[in-house]
Amino acid sequence: MIIQRYAENALRIIFGSQIDMEVHEQVRRAFFLLISLHRIDIIEIIPSFCSCLVIYEDDLTSYETLADLLNERLANLSAVEMPPPQVHEITVHYGGDYGPDLSFVAKHCQLSVSEVIERHCAELYTVFTVGFTPGFPYLGTLDERITAPRLETPRTRIPAGSVGIAQRQTGIYPFESPAGWQIIGRTDIRLFDPARPPYSLMQIGDKVRFIEVQ
Amino acid sequence: MTPAITVRNPAIFSLIVDLGRTGFGAVGVPSSSALDRYACQALYCLLDCANAPLLEVIGPKFALQFDADVICAITGARVMAFLDDAPLRPWTSFRAKKGSLLLVKEVTEGFRYYIGFAGKVKAEAVMGSYTTNLECRFGGLNGTPLKSGDILHLEESREIETNLIPLNLIPSMNSPHILRVMEGPEADSFTADSCRHFWEKGYHELFTVSTNLNRTGIRLDGTPLVFKPEAPKSIVSEGIVPGTIQIPGDGLPIIMLNERTIGGYARVAVIARADQDRLAHLKANDLVCFERIIVEEGERLWRDKQKRITQLQSLTGSTPPPGPIQE
Repeated sequence: MIIQRYAENALRIIFGSQIDMEVHEQVRRAFFLLISLHRIDIIEIIPSFCSCLVIYEDDLTSYETLADLLNERLANLSAVEMPPPQVHEITVHYGGDYGPDLSFVAKHCQLSVSEVIERHCAELYTVFTVGFTPGFPYLGTLDERITAPRLETPRTRIPAGSVGIAQRQTGIYPFESPAGWQIIGRTDIRLFDPARPPYSLMQIGDKVRFIEVQ
Repeated sequence: MTPAITVRNPAIFSLIVDLGRTGFGAVGVPSSSALDRYACQALYCLLDCANAPLLEVIGPKFALQFDADVICAITGARVMAFLDDAPLRPWTSFRAKKGSLLLVKEVTEGFRYYIGFAGKVKAEAVMGSYTTNLECRFGGLNGTPLKSGDILHLEESREIETNLIPLNLIPSMNSPHILRVMEGPEADSFTADSCRHFWEKGYHELFTVSTNLNRTGIRLDGTPLVFKPEAPKSIVSEGIVPGTIQIPGDGLPIIMLNERTIGGYARVAVIARADQDRLAHLKANDLVCFERIIVEEGERLWRDKQKRITQLQSLTGSTPPPGPIQE
């Protein structure tokens, strides 16, 4: 674990540099531990694949003070208690207008379209983090036989529910938004409700399985 | 009945904002804060309140009609505004009489301006904030920009003394914008030469603000940054702070504003917090350049800025000095 300064009022707690289940476990434990501290000087905790970003109130603390404290508190992560993960089944319409990049991905991977779908549905994914837009789950780990690069220039608008892939990740866009990932399908399931806590269908550590709509 | 204010013309773009939504970053909810928070602080001081819903407006022709006497104020971009036919001084509060029309004729410096009222505009509070998340359509007025005919209901309308912000506390907002930056987590992904041109005094390239800009981010045009051959063009997605400058595969910077919690492109730099309000005033074709500082300098600049906010706050309740309307 390394703590690094990011901005005047932000630091990163880094557990690794690759998408990896062990790194994810540490991030998740660190996240729940940070929440349990109930510190008023920590105003935002954003866990992701390999790190936790902490934004703090610099009127109440300093980088040095907080980094020392976190180094001490995060030394023994194995004892942290966490909520059990939920499993979500997500039905997807693949290809066509729903997934304009499916044929590109198939070509890129030298597979048939149905093989790409089959492999996308075969995995039980882990929610490594939630972000980009509210409720967007970053899911891994994608079968390496169906990986594709991000778009060099992101699309400015894609519909809500779009399912995308990029490198070893897959994800679902909860809202109409810009998108830099290859879009292979779309779901009708609502992923975020601002009126109902905990707001996001998916939380870090949850599990997801995709099911093709026939 | 609560006083009502009718939007007669929403200008190019206007919406309800406040100082932002915090504490929900783990489920991807961004702050969506007003982009010029300093201008908002000034507005709150003029209106003697804290974190009420405000209007963030782009463009001329913005018009409001009042059906009751209301104290209002305008800050942010310098505008030529009129209450009926009387010109209004920038960064002041004023009394709009029942039946009067507030019209912004022209924006003379900067891009976004802010209008607030003594009282509280009725707006949708979502996850602890009134600000509009446009992408997800929540907060503000039904999660959408203001449109002609919208009615703003003013709850808790209050009577206060009018006041003004002295000129020395009004920042400059004109192009070129010199933005101070600190090295970002992936600064190392770029060649030394391209970093030098990006942020070193005497070398730095001027970037142009492209037409591809909104409340989420600002894309710049200019000489692309060059990735080192071994550096990946995208990163494992990670949390970002507002003001992060991301470099996608095409090498051209995107300045991230207050609408994202996570990013997947290399973060070459972070704009100093003290300079982030300026981002509200970058408009298409403006010129931008970056100047590297160390984080301790960023902290010092931020402390200075907070002192100016404290100065603003000390004005509250004081009698405005007499003087002619300028501009």
